[in-house]
Amino acid sequence: MSNSDYSTSVGSINLSNPLILASGILDENGYTMKRILTEGAAAAVTKSIGTDERNGYKPPIVAVDDPIFINAVGLPNPGINNVGEEIKIARESGKPIIGSIFGKDENEFINLAGKMEDYGVSAVELNLSCPHVKGFGSEIGGDPILVKKIVNGVKGSIKIPVWAKLSPNVTNLLDIANAASDSDALVLINTVRGMKIDIYSGKPVLSNRVGGLSGSSIKPVGIRCVYEVKSNLDIPVIGVGGIESGLDAVEYIMAGATAVQIGTAIWKYGRAVFTKVLTELNDFMDSEGYGKIEELRGIALK
Amino acid sequence: MINSVRILRNEINTPTVNSLYFKWDSHAEPGQFVMVWVPGISEIPMSLSLTGKEKCLTVKKYGDTSNALSKVEPGERIFFRGPYGKPFTRVKGKTLLVGGGSGMASLRPLIDQKASGVVAARSSDELLFKDLFAKDRITVATDDGSEGIKGNIVDAMREIDLEAFEMIYVCGPERMIKSIVDFVSNRNINMELSLERNMKCGIGICDSCSIDGFQLCTDGPTFKLSTVLTMKEFGRTKLAESGKRIWFQ
Repeated sequence: MSNSDYSTSVGSINLSNPLILASGILDENGYTMKRILTEGAAAAVTKSIGTDERNGYKPPIVAVDDPIFINAVGLPNPGINNVGEEIKIARESGKPIIGSIFGKDENEFINLAGKMEDYGVSAVELNLSCPHVKGFGSEIGGDPILVKKIVNGVKGSIKIPVWAKLSPNVTNLLDIANAASDSDALVLINTVRGMKIDIYSGKPVLSNRVGGLSGSSIKPVGIRCVYEVKSNLDIPVIGVGGIESGLDAVEYIMAGATAVQIGTAIWKYGRAVFTKVLTELNDFMDSEGYGKIEELRGIALK
Repeated sequence: MINSVRILRNEINTPTVNSLYFKWDSHAEPGQFVMVWVPGISEIPMSLSLTGKEKCLTVKKYGDTSNALSKVEPGERIFFRGPYGKPFTRVKGKTLLVGGGSGMASLRPLIDQKASGVVAARSSDELLFKDLFAKDRITVATDDGSEGIKGNIVDAMREIDLEAFEMIYVCGPERMIKSIVDFVSNRNINMELSLERNMKCGIGICDSCSIDGFQLCTDGPTFKLSTVLTMKEFGRTKLAESGKRIWFQ
């Protein structure tokens, strides 16, 4: 790779490149996060962690038919008290680990965020948007009053940055983005509610029946959400949803994203997707005459 | 994409193991697996125990899904996606297939004129596919001594000149594989091992089956001995269904 400078920063967090491992994908085991960070990702977001240990849903947890990718994993996690070891292992990479957390209310989020801070994460990401678990996620993420309480409550209780991951499954994204605007960054978007029925058995494929659609199918939704929020709010945005190539990353950055997260694309390209995207980003910047990520950022907004 | 095929026959192999035969044109290789879905129950990973035009799934009954699957009758459908995973490396020379418990299922497609076998189980009636080997090429061990050597799979391997084989293929539960790896770690042999861990997605994204940052479902399930020897988690810790780290007993 040549002259391009891919470094970027989300608030106080410096990233060697704009590519972050998204929450929910290959981020349960500390050794896996460490490997992905060694192989190209600039930072990793953990699987969403709650107060108590949860097994998640029974398989099938994925329904895939390229390019369709729907999951309902069901927030499996070891519980906040058992995740410290994994974060410690992942931190051996020397790169930022972002602790994703989910809860029912402000107090639960505050408690989880405090413990994540103790484990040494660089920021917390509030999962305000898991589309397939009752009582968590979208039911919270669709309520601007609750979102504001949680964001402001967590923000006031820890020193590290707070990112808020929002759902596209809402009537008015800007209402929610405004409610979360005291956070240090917004992460847009979580998956889009979807479903797959197998027509030979006549049954929904996912054990939870409904899941979240991700991958290239939702990229236009993600681009729209980033663009809409950046057109109205002055807050760093991290783009996520369907990024498989360097050109997808460029599109998000031009919509105003400071950095991007990659998850589902690992299904198609393996962990090597990070170096692939970075190479393609480099080639684009070279051929189009961009020297820095900064020069690409938000140019579609002008 | 979920494949749906009709079963041709359901063969009883041992009191706890059945084999389901079916025609499926997709290319698959020994060592690969499919995710088998029983609608209304769950989805489980299963090795293909035949990989030609006629394919086979060998089902060990241990839970709701495998129990339901073992009862599928000829003409009924099974549902699965795949094939997934890295196959075993094929060689031209003499091979040794080492299978513990139902581990012989994934090794069965490798049985040919040049293959010898080591089959181990708790007792005689649980020995899987031993009759598919020539009589002078099979070594048997049972925990209770009801057939062959009384002892474990490593006891059986001690009887064999391992260096005489161009490749040794191993499949079985992690604790058993650990005992084999410890036994051969300093020897000059070619060995590939098919590992087993809790698997949910089968396509390299959920992290349930990972070991030292490798995903069993996409980087494995077959690994070279040299790779397994680098794994700090192997035979030591793994993640439970929730992602909680647990230690092997």
